[in-house]
Amino acid sequence: MNTVLDKFAQAAQRPYEHVKAWKQERGVKAVGTLPMHFPAEIIHATGALPVIVQEMPDAITSGGGAMYPFFCGYTRSIVDQVTEDQLGFLDAIMFTDHCVQLLSAADVIRISRPETTIHFHQLIASLRQPWSLESSVKTLRELVADLEEVLGVVVTEEALRHSISVFNENRRLIRDLYQMRRTGQIQLRASQMQHIVKSSMVMDKETHNALLRELIASLKTSTAPRSDTVAIYVSGHLCHAPRPEILDLIEECGATIVDDDLYTGYRYVSTDVDAGIGDPIVALATAYIRKNDNVPCPTRIDPEVDWEEWLLGAVDRCGAQGLVVLLVKFCEPHYFAYPRIKAAFERNDVPHLMIETEHDGVAMENVRTKVESFVEMIKVQRAARAVAA
Amino acid sequence: MKSHVLGIDFGSTTAKVVILDEDGNTVASCVSQKGAVSDEGVRAALRGAFEQAGINLSAVVRVVSTGYGRRMLDIADRTITEITCHARGARALVPEARLVIDIGGQDSKVIALDRNGLVARFAMNDRCAAGTGKFLEVLARAVNVELDDMGAEALKAEETVAITSMCATFAETEVISLLAEGRPKQVILAGVHQSIASRTVGLVGRVGKHDPIVMTGGVAQNIAAVHFLGKALETRLIIPTGAQIAGALGAALFALDDLRSASKVKRDDDDAVEGKLEQLLADPQRCTPACGKKETPVTFKA
Amino acid sequence: MSAIITPEQRILGAEPPIAKKANRLQATKLNNQMVNAYWEDLFRAKEEGRLVCWTEGIQLNPILQAADIAWCHGEAAAALLAARKESAAPQAHMETLGYDRELCSYARTHIGCGVMNQSSTVEAQTLLNVDARTLGSRIPAPDMIISAYPFCSTGQQWDNELYRTFGKKVPIFNISMDWVWGNKSSAKYMSGPEFREKVAFLKKQLQDCVRFIEGITGKPYDWDRLSEIMKYTKRAAELRLEAMRLCKARPSPASFFEWTNSIAPVNFLPGGPEIVHYFEQKKAEIESRIAQGIGSVPVEKYRLWWDGIMNWNKIGWLSDKFAGYDACMVAGRYTHMGFWQEPQVIDLRDPLDGMAQNYITCPISISAPQVIEKIIEHCEYYEIDGLILHGARTCRAFSYPQYMIADAVGKRLGLPVAMFEGDMVDETFYKDEVVSSRVEAMLEAIDASRARMR
Ligand code: SF4
Ligand code: SF4
Repeated sequence: MNTVLDKFAQAAQRPYEHVKAWKQERGVKAVGTLPMHFPAEIIHATGALPVIVQEMPDAITSGGGAMYPFFCGYTRSIVDQVTEDQLGFLDAIMFTDHCVQLLSAADVIRISRPETTIHFHQLIASLRQPWSLESSVKTLRELVADLEEVLGVVVTEEALRHSISVFNENRRLIRDLYQMRRTGQIQLRASQMQHIVKSSMVMDKETHNALLRELIASLKTSTAPRSDTVAIYVSGHLCHAPRPEILDLIEECGATIVDDDLYTGYRYVSTDVDAGIGDPIVALATAYIRKNDNVPCPTRIDPEVDWEEWLLGAVDRCGAQGLVVLLVKFCEPHYFAYPRIKAAFERNDVPHLMIETEHDGVAMENVRTKVESFVEMIKVQRAARAVAA
Repeated sequence: MKSHVLGIDFGSTTAKVVILDEDGNTVASCVSQKGAVSDEGVRAALRGAFEQAGINLSAVVRVVSTGYGRRMLDIADRTITEITCHARGARALVPEARLVIDIGGQDSKVIALDRNGLVARFAMNDRCAAGTGKFLEVLARAVNVELDDMGAEALKAEETVAITSMCATFAETEVISLLAEGRPKQVILAGVHQSIASRTVGLVGRVGKHDPIVMTGGVAQNIAAVHFLGKALETRLIIPTGAQIAGALGAALFALDDLRSASKVKRDDDDAVEGKLEQLLADPQRCTPACGKKETPVTFKA
Repeated sequence: MSAIITPEQRILGAEPPIAKKANRLQATKLNNQMVNAYWEDLFRAKEEGRLVCWTEGIQLNPILQAADIAWCHGEAAAALLAARKESAAPQAHMETLGYDRELCSYARTHIGCGVMNQSSTVEAQTLLNVDARTLGSRIPAPDMIISAYPFCSTGQQWDNELYRTFGKKVPIFNISMDWVWGNKSSAKYMSGPEFREKVAFLKKQLQDCVRFIEGITGKPYDWDRLSEIMKYTKRAAELRLEAMRLCKARPSPASFFEWTNSIAPVNFLPGGPEIVHYFEQKKAEIESRIAQGIGSVPVEKYRLWWDGIMNWNKIGWLSDKFAGYDACMVAGRYTHMGFWQEPQVIDLRDPLDGMAQNYITCPISISAPQVIEKIIEHCEYYEIDGLILHGARTCRAFSYPQYMIADAVGKRLGLPVAMFEGDMVDETFYKDEVVSSRVEAMLEAIDASRARMR
């Protein structure tokens, strides 16, 4: 089937080559954004290509002289990309999210390369204040005005509405894929899903939508039953893609990943923007404030949502028999949240396994032993339950 | 002739082999110290085990391998991780066990067992050598004490000193500067063992403390490690005879399961095991003597 | 952001002996008395029927004091525990619960206290094996939490964790403090539209916070009392800055370590005549030292800048260590750029605006370009010879700009630096061997450049 999947894989594996080629072909500008909740519809509405700056697997070189090694892999990688002059093709970088490590990296980037236009419009992280929506609307309006100035364009409401619908469609198509995968109708590997989502972060959305439709059409014909593997839900990696090798390794150890809340996964497509709200900026801000209901983000302050409880439900809904948490080393928001996840899963007797990942690579044999043991454990427990029943 | 099964634990510094007969009696258990992972070590342990068991290669019809090198052995019918195998082996040696602490050369693991003896939870060290046999090895060298003597030396100390570095390399510098300050070796060694104990307590914390606790793996032979760990956990650790071969024993028990469940249908490639064993042992390139250390076969209820 | 005055420091097991001792200021003793009195008072708060608020980051204490609410400042609590060698217990509890050691050690220590607090019941104690007599468990549980952390998201999440640790039963008020990034060139230190906007947003939230407090106390807020408290705070802050500026003298009469030991009055002690008196004493002592030519270290051969958050486990020991090198740590980012660092903008008739301005210009709330300019100003003023960059491993907010600081002071002032890792309250990250060799290399570089000048 799989020229379409190949296209996704290529864009995901060499995102910047893809963007550079697109710029050249279309003569458009490209605006980089940083995770996690940037409303890229706004950039799309200016006519520029929004590109989420990705972690690159390359070893940290000159960036190591600009940032301490005790920062998360994503931030160290993007600093290194800048000091290695790999992001010059971006016409500007914009970001809205508050994580101390992300802000640190942005500040380092600004000082290392003063010629980079890198602007920050802080979205309020506390989602349930009476003024959270109002504050988000204000921030987004400032962002629009700033982009208009930086790019020398005017963003119309109509353009925004159009962008929102294109993005909504993209999210919906990917969610459809997720749904088919959950029910076992299709069998895409987790690394393939990652290619699909990651490519959406750097590709022109209309093009991506067309490819998705093509893929879905080709997939619907195949319906092999799910094999006798252990179904796993994967959670974590808030800002960048886990290395596909790790996802593949998990699936080589007798597990099938059936669902996830990864940033380069379901998290990215979880929430549509309500086209029914008249003012598109209010619609975008509302989607931001409400996103936590769909997939909780531990970098946001939201007393009404518990990631751990939500995860228990998510694991159950997709029929997974266990949870694998992929925790990025030094990611403090996740470090804060993990003990509660651990406690909740232990309390409810749902097997879970935490794997810490590092930019500089993980000890694959160690991980393989953990995952194999985890799968063996679930199988043995399952067999014991079957005997008891 | 009785059928036999074989469990082999291909670890980072040692290879261990256990052979059981079809009734579940241990007929051989052998450990070979061969430094880094090598099939020479495996050959030595296998030779030793067959010698001890006094059986032909053809008597072995099922092989399960475990340990870091588990997938490097094509003699195995299947591989099972050391976590699952250690749990099984430890449980066989100490039926009431609820927690297994295994500290090996390169890794350390803590396994909680449920009431039925099945793995309920486990934790394993990450890539770093903190809290493993390797850590002890590096620091024994730094203090210039034989690895086998370091436990006894440490217990002679009347006080300890805090070694704060978890990383073996940094701990080494720390130890060297303590020596330079004139701290007695014994005191430093006590600190080293205490540090390994506190790392292990951290791992125990991840799965929860459940008594009784069984300790297996190479470091279980180190009396100071056992002493400090027991103190830190406020409990007495059970070190069963055969603690070192628990993983291989577990593997052999899984092989026995396989044999029993498959006995109804005679597998047509039973001879394949013999062929592969022969090939491995008859490698003309290297002539390996049998291992020096044959364990007294352990007794337990299969 | 943090602070606490340490009592005499004990030398840790693995630390080599030290030859010279720093010449400590007498006034510091007074500070220690005030600090002890403050904690004892806080420990009694519940018995005396006072409400307790937990808070981190900025100095909200005047706002609480005016409403008769006792407060526990998280960093101060963590630093107190570290200084009294009691931080290991809460840290160990947190590790058992699964909190990673790479997480902000202040937060780990303080949340650890929260856990200990929550577990003051008998069954929880047996479960967690908590010793109820430890200092951590004497800190009274909160009746409310106010979260207001500049720049660092970890601070905000720390409060969120506390809120969850106490079962979401303690009311929390979340203030969002925007970072003044400076998208436009009009954004300057304490001026420009972006700064004014952020201050206004913060001020509005502070007003809402006062309404939250009124809701809890059931009493109208006493704004006059706030002005009164701020009068003392402002005066104390002014005196502190004046006394600091006097340390331009050679030899410097006081060191960064002394200023670290004087953070409490401008960070979490109650605003009153005592803190004003304290800085008067301190300033007088400094003036008299200058008159007599007495320095903070026996021999002042080098004048250094300490960049980074303080290492509370090591403060007294480090101060002697540098005295041993004939080096005076004259000033630092932590002490000289934070804690009511701009008192002049506080208008006592309407203190909230000036308070907001101070909160938003603390050394982690301003971004690196401004941090660097300020550091250069200070280095020039105090005639600094070299910089110590203490990269607190678990306080990324403080450590992230240090490579850029090193680069800028090297290029613009030609100063050498010594960078090393450590931490604020987790001593396992500090490696004395590494520190010694880096510091010595830097001092040699200073010697070499002096030799060239001659
Ligand atoms: S949320 Fe985690 S992964 Fe993302 S920037 Fe912050 S620390 Fe890094
Ligand atoms: S990391 Fe530093 S700035 Fe952030 S909460 Fe902890 S102590 Fe405060």
